[in-house]
Amino acid sequence: MAARVAVQLGYKNIYRDPLGFPEWQKSGLPVASDPLGLCDYAPEASAPGPLSGWSLLWTMLGVFAGGLALNLTPCVYPLIPITVSYFGGKSGQGRGRLLAHGLLYLAGLAVTNALLGVGAALTGGLMGAMLQNPLVLGAVALVLVVLAASMFGFWELRLPGGLTQAASRSYAGYWGSLFMGLTLGVVAAPCIGPFVLGLLTWVANLGSPLLGFLVFLTLSLGLGLPLFFLAIFSGSLEKLPRSGEWLLWVRKLMGWVLLGMAAYFLRPLLPEGVSTALLAAVALGAAIHLGWLDRTAGASRGFQWVKTMAALVGVVAATFLAGSWAFQGPGVNWQPYSDQLLAQAKEAGKPVIIDFGAVWCAPCRELEEITFHHPEVVKLADRDFVMVKVDLTRKGDPVHTRLLGQYGVKGVPTVIFLDGRGHECRNLRLVDYLPPEQFLSRMAGVMKK
Amino acid sequence: MDTFKRLLVCLAAMALTLGWLWLAHRPPPPVQDATLAQVQDEAARGGYRLLNTAELARLYQHPPAKLLLVDTRQDWEYRSGHIKGAVSFPLEPTWWSRWRAQRPLAALLGPDKNRLVVFY
Repeated sequence: MAARVAVQLGYKNIYRDPLGFPEWQKSGLPVASDPLGLCDYAPEASAPGPLSGWSLLWTMLGVFAGGLALNLTPCVYPLIPITVSYFGGKSGQGRGRLLAHGLLYLAGLAVTNALLGVGAALTGGLMGAMLQNPLVLGAVALVLVVLAASMFGFWELRLPGGLTQAASRSYAGYWGSLFMGLTLGVVAAPCIGPFVLGLLTWVANLGSPLLGFLVFLTLSLGLGLPLFFLAIFSGSLEKLPRSGEWLLWVRKLMGWVLLGMAAYFLRPLLPEGVSTALLAAVALGAAIHLGWLDRTAGASRGFQWVKTMAALVGVVAATFLAGSWAFQGPGVNWQPYSDQLLAQAKEAGKPVIIDFGAVWCAPCRELEEITFHHPEVVKLADRDFVMVKVDLTRKGDPVHTRLLGQYGVKGVPTVIFLDGRGHECRNLRLVDYLPPEQFLSRMAGVMKK
Repeated sequence: MDTFKRLLVCLAAMALTLGWLWLAHRPPPPVQDATLAQVQDEAARGGYRLLNTAELARLYQHPPAKLLLVDTRQDWEYRSGHIKGAVSFPLEPTWWSRWRAQRPLAALLGPDKNRLVVFY
């Protein structure tokens, strides 16, 4: 390929060896490997120091964009129906007043979120762990199902209604919106979990809790911006023509979104096949209900199109979920940890990859389902590596506790690379999801010379 | 749009999704080594000459001029082992990456158009 390009570029003396490196190596000719200093035993370099001026501004803009991007993760969905129902009741107010209410709501959300963020950063990633606890996951899923039931009209939403009334009575008007935001910040807090680990070292390095607070505040403002627009929108929703009829259908749609959320939150607790089937079933159920069974009046062409779109999205999502699972190829062959295994690997000069994971951790699943199912990774792992899995789902195993101390593992996922001599390459250590191509580079970094 | 039409649209979308998934997940075709005739044919069309390992070894040990060895495999393959002295120039076998590679490749090979270059 490249030879052809070179000829096209006008080079005259171009050769190609189609047998390439494998034959060369077999013939015992001189070879080299070049890990590019990838395997480095020293601990990771420290994060960049304090910022000021323009670089601070640009960083903050980046953080803000990151917050916006977090809206793509499903953890914000529970806030959507709550926002709609709270601000839906505020319609009939002037545009300016609605704007003020929305801004206060956003500010409240961001402040709570930022406080929790700084707290988590200073105490060590508590927030990520919060949404990884089976009890919390179960409770969240239950609340979502109950809210969904109310959306379907099985019962009237009273509890948040009572809360809003109490809030508006005691704090009256604007204070109510601020209070609402401050309270709901707790619900939004887990969303910034993925960022906490990354920002942790940085905020700690800034050495100033105030600056750390500002970082998290910026992040949370980005996170809350779409909710702000949603609040304004739902405040003026009832002014739309003939809203009554199709609003009922929209409520049912919201109900299905909430059910899907519940299934998503339960995912870490169920075996992979079951959780995928559950999500697919919710998507299919939504499609059938919203597209065919529901007989909400509303004969307008536009509404019929919306119904078809909803059915289409549901069907495609269900097919995609079930299909991806069914078509997935073989994965990496993991072995449980034992000292003996490591000793054997050292004797054979084989590098070792130890994956600390837990069933309830989302990035661990992503690593397993994407990276550790990539054909090249699987091939290389089976051929040249000893792959060890340490499952931390249940606490208290003395061997695991010792390993956590020995390797200084702070959370899951943590993937560590040992070279052929059994030393850890500290700079290769992973604490988050990594796509297969980059993972292959790291694997090459510890491979036998 | 009546319910029947809607059903048809959804079934079509379902079939499309399944087809796409099958395409994306189908096991990569077994990499069979191209036959010698194919390789020679490709070389003739590309306008370059072929070497086998022994010839390359001779050239490598007694280079008539300055020899440039270019490893076109992926970055991680190069890192895990390559011919000593080769430089890495990863190139995927698609026309798009070939088109994009022109400028960096010219920079790598330098201004001397008669330079001896071996790709593998």
